[in-house]
Amino acid sequence: MDGRKPILSVRDLVVKFDLRGRTLTAIRGASLDLLEGETLAIVGESGSGKSVFTKTFIGMLDQNGRVDSGSIEFEGADLAGYATEAEWLRVRGRKISMVFQDPMTALNPLRSIGRQIQEVVEMHRGMSGRQAELAAIELLDHVGIPDPVRRFRQFPHEFSGGMRQRVVIAIAMACKPRILICDEPTTALDVTIQAQILRLIKALQSDFGFTTIYITHDLGVVANVADRVAVMYAGQIVETGSAEDVFYDPRHPYTWALLSSLPQLGVKGKPLFSISGTPPNLFNEIKGDAFAPRNPRALRIDFELQPPMFQVSPGHQAATWLLDPRAPALEPPAAIQAMRARYPGGER
Amino acid sequence: MAKYMLKRLAQSVVTLFIVVTAVFLLMRLLPVEGYLGERYDKLSPEQREAILQKMGLLDPWYVQIGSFYSKLAHGDLGTSAIYRKDVPVLQVIAPRVPYSVRFGLVAMALSLAAGLAMGVHMARYKGRFWDRTWTVYIVLINAVPSAVYLLFIQLYGTDLLKVPLLFDKYKFQSWVLPAISMSLGGIAGYAMWMRRFMVDELNKDYIKLARAKGMTSSAIMVRHVMRNAYVPMAQYLPAAILATVSGSIYIESLYSIPGMGGLLVDVIQRQDNPMVQALVLIFSSIGILGLFLGDVLMAAFDPRIKFAKSEGAR
Amino acid sequence: MADGKAVAAGPPAAVVAKGDAAAGADPALFTFAEFDRDAGERIGWSNYSYWRSTLHMFLRNRVALFLLVLLGTILAFTFLQPLLPNQRSPTLINIDPATGRQFRNLVPSAEYWFGTNSIGQDLWSRIWSGTRTSLLIGIIVGVVEMVLGIAFGAIWGYVRKADRVFTEVYNVLNNIPTTIVLMLLAYIMRPSFQTMVIAMCAAGWHGVARFVRNQIVIIRDREYNLASRCLGTPTHRIIMKNLLPYLVSVIMLQTALSIPGTIGWEVFLTYIGIGLPVSIPSLGNLVNEGRLIMMAPELRYQLIFPTIVVSIITISFYVLGNAFSDASDPRNHV
Repeated sequence: MDGRKPILSVRDLVVKFDLRGRTLTAIRGASLDLLEGETLAIVGESGSGKSVFTKTFIGMLDQNGRVDSGSIEFEGADLAGYATEAEWLRVRGRKISMVFQDPMTALNPLRSIGRQIQEVVEMHRGMSGRQAELAAIELLDHVGIPDPVRRFRQFPHEFSGGMRQRVVIAIAMACKPRILICDEPTTALDVTIQAQILRLIKALQSDFGFTTIYITHDLGVVANVADRVAVMYAGQIVETGSAEDVFYDPRHPYTWALLSSLPQLGVKGKPLFSISGTPPNLFNEIKGDAFAPRNPRALRIDFELQPPMFQVSPGHQAATWLLDPRAPALEPPAAIQAMRARYPGGER
Repeated sequence: MAKYMLKRLAQSVVTLFIVVTAVFLLMRLLPVEGYLGERYDKLSPEQREAILQKMGLLDPWYVQIGSFYSKLAHGDLGTSAIYRKDVPVLQVIAPRVPYSVRFGLVAMALSLAAGLAMGVHMARYKGRFWDRTWTVYIVLINAVPSAVYLLFIQLYGTDLLKVPLLFDKYKFQSWVLPAISMSLGGIAGYAMWMRRFMVDELNKDYIKLARAKGMTSSAIMVRHVMRNAYVPMAQYLPAAILATVSGSIYIESLYSIPGMGGLLVDVIQRQDNPMVQALVLIFSSIGILGLFLGDVLMAAFDPRIKFAKSEGAR
Repeated sequence: MADGKAVAAGPPAAVVAKGDAAAGADPALFTFAEFDRDAGERIGWSNYSYWRSTLHMFLRNRVALFLLVLLGTILAFTFLQPLLPNQRSPTLINIDPATGRQFRNLVPSAEYWFGTNSIGQDLWSRIWSGTRTSLLIGIIVGVVEMVLGIAFGAIWGYVRKADRVFTEVYNVLNNIPTTIVLMLLAYIMRPSFQTMVIAMCAAGWHGVARFVRNQIVIIRDREYNLASRCLGTPTHRIIMKNLLPYLVSVIMLQTALSIPGTIGWEVFLTYIGIGLPVSIPSLGNLVNEGRLIMMAPELRYQLIFPTIVVSIITISFYVLGNAFSDASDPRNHV
């Protein structure tokens, strides 16, 4: 794993939700290493569990959800074993921060912007009063809000969407976290603003030196910012690797399908590719490879046994039986081959 | 803000005018003989006509309404016809105002304090023991007619406190039961709404961010949830004031408290039209004032109202 | 890229994490399976049905179920009671044949199950007769309020031009305490069944209209209605097809809640002396009769029996209305 140490390691994480007497398994044994200082993007369609997965890192599952088994190792402690609020408060907002999707609703409409930043500073950095206020104003300035002294006293409805997202980022930055989780940080924003926000996060990352996790289904964002990519499907990580690995040499049929659905890869005049079927109902027990029923080229074993993680190259892994030595050779779909041909690093 | 209040005030004045007119016209639907009361049988038809003529009751309605307004402008609500014959209505009502005001204020304070506390408590322990217990209370108060349970509170409560059934202004214990009775409905109402608004707030995104910030649940409850829940609560305040006013009518009468509510029941039973009219107008004005104050209060609470309603969040 | 020679199917790849789970697997498994396009749809399938889920949620509520049975029994009995043998007329004054005097204030006995009142009428039959009257008022008022409320509320909420006018009218009506409206109207008209119904409808319809209007405004601007409008669907059709079905549960709730409400108002108006005439037994009249003699502990049964019946009926309607409303809310379904 190109020499860098993992800052956070997840092993075989299982997360379950109790819904009206039934149990839904949202995360079905996911494993992932987050490397110090990198930018990791977790991609997957809605309901694949990418949001739930990262929520477990800061203990923010809904009341009916729980970590069933597995471990989350961070700074020598197992976060999966945390039960009390007091334990989580050592991590949440201090070491690991989160930026949410919709800046329009993420701020309390009835409190001034300044107060909402100030209270984090007071809580985690032990400052108070004027000192905390100055720190909050400095943070506003740092995330690129002009005239921060005046803006400090204003309310969220006086800010535009992009400005609000900057405020949310300032809040997340308040205690210089080690990990920043960005849950679809640009989905609710205009395209022009999206790029600004991504640039801001990148700039902050080089200033503060934190590790970033992006959760997104926007592969354009991934291509822009990510060092590494983890593909999630039905509560499992099915492929991880460097951005180049995943984009130009994907191995899992689901990753193929996901990339093929990019409109950019379509051929003019031909219908766009779309994945048939729907993601599985997670209330049910899933046998074998969860993607098999939607995969036109599935193997028989995909319906019987869950595939293990196969190492493709150092740092690139995929969980598909196609990588087993006994499996028949299968060329990836044309769109993926075309993509590979465009690899900027030369012929692969 | 000032512009909003001015607009709201104008609205209240127009409403008051419409209500006054409507009440006046409705009262004209009653047979005029009612104004003669017990004298009716003793008088000859000519005498009756003369008296009614003198009272202006035989004039066309538009003449009557004109003179009604001009009298009203001078603070004259007419004279009692039966209850205390020929005494100006306001003179009958005036000594009763302090009782109603005192009971009303105590009941409102009590229901607000206890109701909000109960609502917060319920939201804090949502779905658990105390939430369920208070829910039973709220269901009972909302479902069982107040006219019924208040009766039992009077019957057994006076027994328990060893006080006479009827109100005695010189005994402090006598004030207790009516005040509590007047606030029971309000407590249930405030608790129910406070719980609902707090649960609504708890499900909002900014709570997620507040948690992700690393705030403790109690800090989130106090600084974010409770504070925000007060805003829609302010909207509910006037309705609760109206409910207290309505409740006071029955309770004052039940305990024979010499207040305006008890008086209204008395004059309805004795069919004293001018008194009924005056009291209905007074109670309606209280209602209009209550709603006005509630809206002003809400505007003061919510920074967004100072600006255009662009968000339409409410 | 580190692995320059990687080809599509991948050269011998190392298994990470788990051991080779498929070590002993049948090599035949490593062949392509047939693709069933529908299978991909089936895995996401959930057997959801709105009404079945509603029923399911409702049946899970034990308290509501118990009250449903209790209320059903009481309602059925209320209407069957006059048909049973050996029932007395609720207005008949029973006279002791031996002395020629009325059977006044007899305590409950085998002969008079709930005793008699102060003029010798049978409390048992009066209670069931009173329940019939009060429920009838409640149902009529509930239905009329609902019809008026939905009609005006739908126009108010959906026709933007009407919004201003309706809002002003509502503001005026809403500013007057309901108690005052009821008292004034009942006072002006003669005490009778019709008076009660008219007064209560007049005092309550605008509340329902407001409620319906708010619900409609909330869903009016949802995208699917916008789409309907863009397709040129006439307003009345959008109201009937898109909006009202959504409102069924809240409308049921309002109707269910209006019944305890009306019974409460009836008791109150009777107390003031402008309720139903004493000749018509009703729950309000019975409670009031009981109140007049409540100071004598041995006669308190005359207050307690009607109170129990009133409470059971109002609590049942209230709880059932809320339970149904919760159950019918799709957000509470799985």
